Amino acid sequence: MKIRISTAIILARITTFLLRLLGSGGTSLPGKAAMIICKNLLKILAENIKVIIITGTNGKTTTSRIISEILKTSGKTYFENKSGANLISGITASFASNSFLNGNPKFDYAVIECDEAAFKTVCPMIKPHSVVVTNLFRDQLDRFGEITHTRNNIVKGLTASPSSIVILNADDSLSYSIHDDISNETILYGLNSAPYGDDGNFLSDAPYCIKCKSPYHYEFRTYAHLGKFICEKCGYSRVDPHIYANEIELFTNFSKITISINNKVEKATIALPGAYNIYNALSAAAAAKSVEVTSKNIISALASFKSGFGRMEKLVLDEVELDVILVKNPAGLNQVINFLSSDDKDKILVLILNDYFADGTDISWIWDVNFEKFNTFAKHLKEIIVSGTRAEELKLRLKYAGFYDSDISIIKDYNKIIKKVISQNNENLPVYILPTYTAMFDFRKTLSKKYKIRKFWK
Amino acid sequence: MDKLKVCHLYPDLLNLYGDRGNIIALQKRLEWRGLGMELINISVGDKFNYNEYDIVFIGGGQDFEQEILLSDLSIEKKKNIKNSIEDGVVYLAICGGYQLLGTHYKSWDGHQFDFVGAIDIYTVGQQKRMIGDFMFICDDPKLNNLTVTGFENHSGKTYLGNSVKPLGKIVKGFGNNGEDKSAGARYKNVFCSYSHGPILPKNPMLNDYILETALKRKYGDYSLAPLNDITENDARNLIVKRLS
Repeated sequence: MKIRISTAIILARITTFLLRLLGSGGTSLPGKAAMIICKNLLKILAENIKVIIITGTNGKTTTSRIISEILKTSGKTYFENKSGANLISGITASFASNSFLNGNPKFDYAVIECDEAAFKTVCPMIKPHSVVVTNLFRDQLDRFGEITHTRNNIVKGLTASPSSIVILNADDSLSYSIHDDISNETILYGLNSAPYGDDGNFLSDAPYCIKCKSPYHYEFRTYAHLGKFICEKCGYSRVDPHIYANEIELFTNFSKITISINNKVEKATIALPGAYNIYNALSAAAAAKSVEVTSKNIISALASFKSGFGRMEKLVLDEVELDVILVKNPAGLNQVINFLSSDDKDKILVLILNDYFADGTDISWIWDVNFEKFNTFAKHLKEIIVSGTRAEELKLRLKYAGFYDSDISIIKDYNKIIKKVISQNNENLPVYILPTYTAMFDFRKTLSKKYKIRKFWK
Repeated sequence: MDKLKVCHLYPDLLNLYGDRGNIIALQKRLEWRGLGMELINISVGDKFNYNEYDIVFIGGGQDFEQEILLSDLSIEKKKNIKNSIEDGVVYLAICGGYQLLGTHYKSWDGHQFDFVGAIDIYTVGQQKRMIGDFMFICDDPKLNNLTVTGFENHSGKTYLGNSVKPLGKIVKGFGNNGEDKSAGARYKNVFCSYSHGPILPKNPMLNDYILETALKRKYGDYSLAPLNDITENDARNLIVKRLS
């Protein structure tokens, strides 16, 4: 058995090495190869290490990175699965490269981002110490099917791992409802006040009670279907979270809140903009609490956090500030638009829409995005470029949001985009790149050929 | 001139990816011609006044929401929808909304749900979903062999009765049932399709045809001034090229 484990680990590492030699960041093949030699490799390698799994529709990567930052601050060692290797094969490969040949772990913790569809098979194998469910929004219906289907898959995974501590978003009526179907210990997090006030313009993925199907009422809403929901008919309602934020102030690059952990209220700064990142920070704080990190270390890490590529990573290239923000569903993109509207600086916007399998082949979701909100700060959008395999549809969407054809340029060649927004950007206006999943990797690749930036799989 | 009254039926239940885009498209193409649109949202518990609307739009939904909707569809609401269709009100019904106007839906495991019964179509569920970009050519001579593209994602197979004609013939994709090459349905002033995408923005001729049908019913003879549709046609042609 020991030999089989070592062989599988070696095979995974060799495959990874060869792929990199070929210049590929391929993350699934090494895991697949190892699993042929040893089917239970993941189960065996996860046995002697504390694992925190992060799943849900939006915010998985950012939440994982914040958890890692907190562990680092508190002097604990950890590894994480990077660059979207979040299916069973990629996760297996990550464990293989972070274990000794005898199968023993090299670190104290594993911080593992897991695709919500893969969770039901990954969770029973790993039996993690803690699981964070960030939230449930409608996402890629062509791949995942109905949102309740995704929810039920998460329940399946958790039922097979009853000793895991589960961290749930109290404000999300969809993911909080998981609580009633599992026996696990849970920690809840949420916002105790609305960060944007109540502007009444909410597109909800869940207007009706998941239990009795009558409409929810809200004492306040934070965004989308999140908030203090109440079902007057059956009584299913938000409960007070264990870890919560209050007195929320949003700034361009960060937020200030008071955070309550174990009934102790303290001031905190979240080094990322937007209300959705307050949720990410709170869920990471809850995960850290579940492995007994002190509040002091949590709060210090939240303030010093720097994000990864595609998750509000700021690059400065030839004096031009470039933010790359992954967008993949209406809830996420609406939050980015809220964020972009929050300052009155001139900016350049690049939207990239691909429709490959990993992006979702159905791009009609862009019609559910509140692009109309661009009209409230259109004078600051000095240039709008659309790109990707479905650039034409993006241009059309923006036309129907109130822009003229001449306001929007289609540039499919990433090299030309880079030239236009960096070398020809004479005023050094900040640039916001909003790509879908595959576009994010392709754009990064093109960018790294021109500028020296760290390769994403490192 | 009075604004065109557009009723969005069950906007909070039948609101799958992008269907809202059809409302945006109707409104913008009226606005660009100096015409107005009044949007009336009708959902659970609201009364549906059959003689009040010029256009009724129904989108697609998830199974979870469809159950809520069926319990709201009282005999009276069903009757009002039927009457308005017989009266010539213009309907655009997509995916789940299209199925809903039919007589019934039989799920793959044998359960039967009675629907509105306003048009002679019915749907049979299967476990395999029909998903992807698709393309059909409109049969209506006034639409001039228009090629329509969109995105379909349904597990129901829909079959048309004798009084209902297809909206078009499938060139690529599944259409109503993946068997008889029929795409969507036409009955009186009702337009049905499985096309998300959404269907209207990148198929502006169909959009204008629907608007003109409603305007003619309201004001007698009426024709819409042409618009510059290069952006719309570029978005459609990209998919036409891919599928050809």
